[in-house]
Amino acid sequence: MEDNVAIRVSNLTKKFKVYYDKGRSLKEVILFRNRNKHEVRTVLNDVSFDIKKGEAVGLIGHNGCGKSTLLKLISGILYPDGGSVDIKGRVSSLLELGAGFHPDMSGRENIYINASIFGLTREEIEARLQTIIDFSELAGFIDNPVRTYSSGMYMRLAFSVAINVDAEVLLIDEILAVGDANFQAKCFSKLQEIKEKGTTIVIVSHSLSQIENICDRSIWINDGVIRADGTPLAVHSEYLEFMNEQRKAAGGKDLDIPPEYVAYMQERRYKENLKLSMIPEQQAAVEANGGQYRWGSGEVKITSITASGPDGVGKRLFEVGTDVYFKVHYHVEKPIKDAVFGIGFFRNSGENLYGTNTRIDGKPNFDIDEDGEFTIIMRKIPLMPDQYTVSFSIEYGDGVPVDYWKDALKIDTYRQTPDVGGFFMEHDWEYEVKGQDNG
Amino acid sequence: MNKLKEIYEYRLMIYSLVKRDLRGKYKGSVLGFMWTFVNPLLQLLVYNMVFSIIMKAGVDKFYLYLFVGLIPWLFFSAAITGGSTCIIAQKDLIKKIRFPREIIPISFVTSQFVNMLLSFIVVIIVSVVSGVRPTIGGLLCLPIIMLVEYLMALGIALISSSLTVYFRDLEHILAIVAMAWLYATPICYPVEMVPEKYLSLYNLNPVTPIVNAYRDVLYWGRTPDLRTLIIAVCIGLVTVVLGIIIFGRLQRRFAEEL
Repeated sequence: MEDNVAIRVSNLTKKFKVYYDKGRSLKEVILFRNRNKHEVRTVLNDVSFDIKKGEAVGLIGHNGCGKSTLLKLISGILYPDGGSVDIKGRVSSLLELGAGFHPDMSGRENIYINASIFGLTREEIEARLQTIIDFSELAGFIDNPVRTYSSGMYMRLAFSVAINVDAEVLLIDEILAVGDANFQAKCFSKLQEIKEKGTTIVIVSHSLSQIENICDRSIWINDGVIRADGTPLAVHSEYLEFMNEQRKAAGGKDLDIPPEYVAYMQERRYKENLKLSMIPEQQAAVEANGGQYRWGSGEVKITSITASGPDGVGKRLFEVGTDVYFKVHYHVEKPIKDAVFGIGFFRNSGENLYGTNTRIDGKPNFDIDEDGEFTIIMRKIPLMPDQYTVSFSIEYGDGVPVDYWKDALKIDTYRQTPDVGGFFMEHDWEYEVKGQDNG
Repeated sequence: MNKLKEIYEYRLMIYSLVKRDLRGKYKGSVLGFMWTFVNPLLQLLVYNMVFSIIMKAGVDKFYLYLFVGLIPWLFFSAAITGGSTCIIAQKDLIKKIRFPREIIPISFVTSQFVNMLLSFIVVIIVSVVSGVRPTIGGLLCLPIIMLVEYLMALGIALISSSLTVYFRDLEHILAIVAMAWLYATPICYPVEMVPEKYLSLYNLNPVTPIVNAYRDVLYWGRTPDLRTLIIAVCIGLVTVVLGIIIFGRLQRRFAEEL
């Protein structure tokens, strides 16, 4: 195995016997021989992949796809029927928190028990003891019996031990939902810290966004084989697409998309945009200049655009029907006279949805002498949930573009009700229900 | 060999589990840890009533004769019956955490063993108070005898605990086996009471030499026969090796079967 590989999974196969009605006792085995029928289900079929040192990998897939089995095989809890798993370094598995805790013993004693189950020696535990206690925020209670702890305190102690094992390989199964929001944030940043130290991390989770936050790579397991392997964003969109198709096929209904899916998609698009917006401005501008999406005579240049709500905090995701503020900064190379500001909304397909400028709106044209900014407020945006491209322009009064930036910004919209269409139309219902006693 | 190294690396886990077991056992009871001493004394009282008042065995200082054999036997029998279920009892651990699974039977047998050692404090006191003068050689042999018994108990617990995962009836079968085994061992009666023609069969019982060796030291006040001891050590080692091999094979599917 090469030096930079932490986990090598080669041709891994795992089969489970699924008993229809398993008799385990002597009587059942002898009397009901035929009851012991079982089928052999192949949970993992010839799966191979390498995980590099320091990589953080998410395993995704629907329930029963084999991802948890895979994690258990990697951790050594299960043994394969074929193929092998090779791991370099100490493994810590966060599959069960608080293993071996005894309610009558103190928090401190339980740290020793729990950590010893992870394979730590006494010296190793003593070296970590203070860190564990500090992380759990239980310093005042550490010598009380664990049975007096609240469930939140219990989990905090358990997580603190598990996360401080300092393994080279960390395996995690759906356990990041520990404690209150504060502690979760702390766990999360601890995980980031562990990752930065070069620990290899493998996570099984249903929460795709959790994986996106931590992992650099996602492996999608479907029916016991790897269906996709790549960056989380790429794999997850493929996965969601697939799940959506499955749902449609099963339900036969187009609109049968669960709300969490919609919410997730929006959050994800939002993040994609954040990533786009993190490209340094200069670079974005250069790119745009070279391409076909920005043109103009160039005396004045738009330097940055911020989209926000009324509070002025920049964001890209807006609820349908709320006000959106676009603040545009520009830089003057050479003063211009008689200028016009403009804005336009486009679908990603290119269709123009709305466009206007200060001239159309009857505002006086103005002269631009030095760097400045303008703000345009779009009231109660009616654009139904989707992604939209917003373009901005500075032109001369006669329509000659100074800086026309077609794909300046992308925004997403979302909506909490399931009404459909391209635009939200304000409406009321007026009717009387006949033949019904309203008293 | 790798296995042994791995188990050694997890020695703190054995220690922790034994400590947890011993500490947790009598938690909440009035006598607490004193039960470790009171329990064997009360058992001794019952057996003594039965065998020196009702069923006379015709042995001098029968209470001591019985006590010296009974304490090691109680350990051995706990290792057989309790040992068979120790894996099932820890299934949450086995299904969720990776560690050498041998740790579980090892800690179970060890914690029973520690219990026996503590009871032996009582045995030795009773023995000396009764006028037995153990020889130096005898006392030196005592740890060896205990080690042999530990190894045998561990070997049996390794086998029975792993088999019980696949075949749950074993738990109940072993309870009966343990009872029968008690009467197949000279604990409640002297060997001399066994009819001559069954004696060769009777002597196949590997626990008999162990019990006899304990009695040599603490009842007769003499040094046990070295030859018998060496044979016993070999039997103990073979049992453990066998236990580790069988356990190693069977443990691969533990997480699925539990």
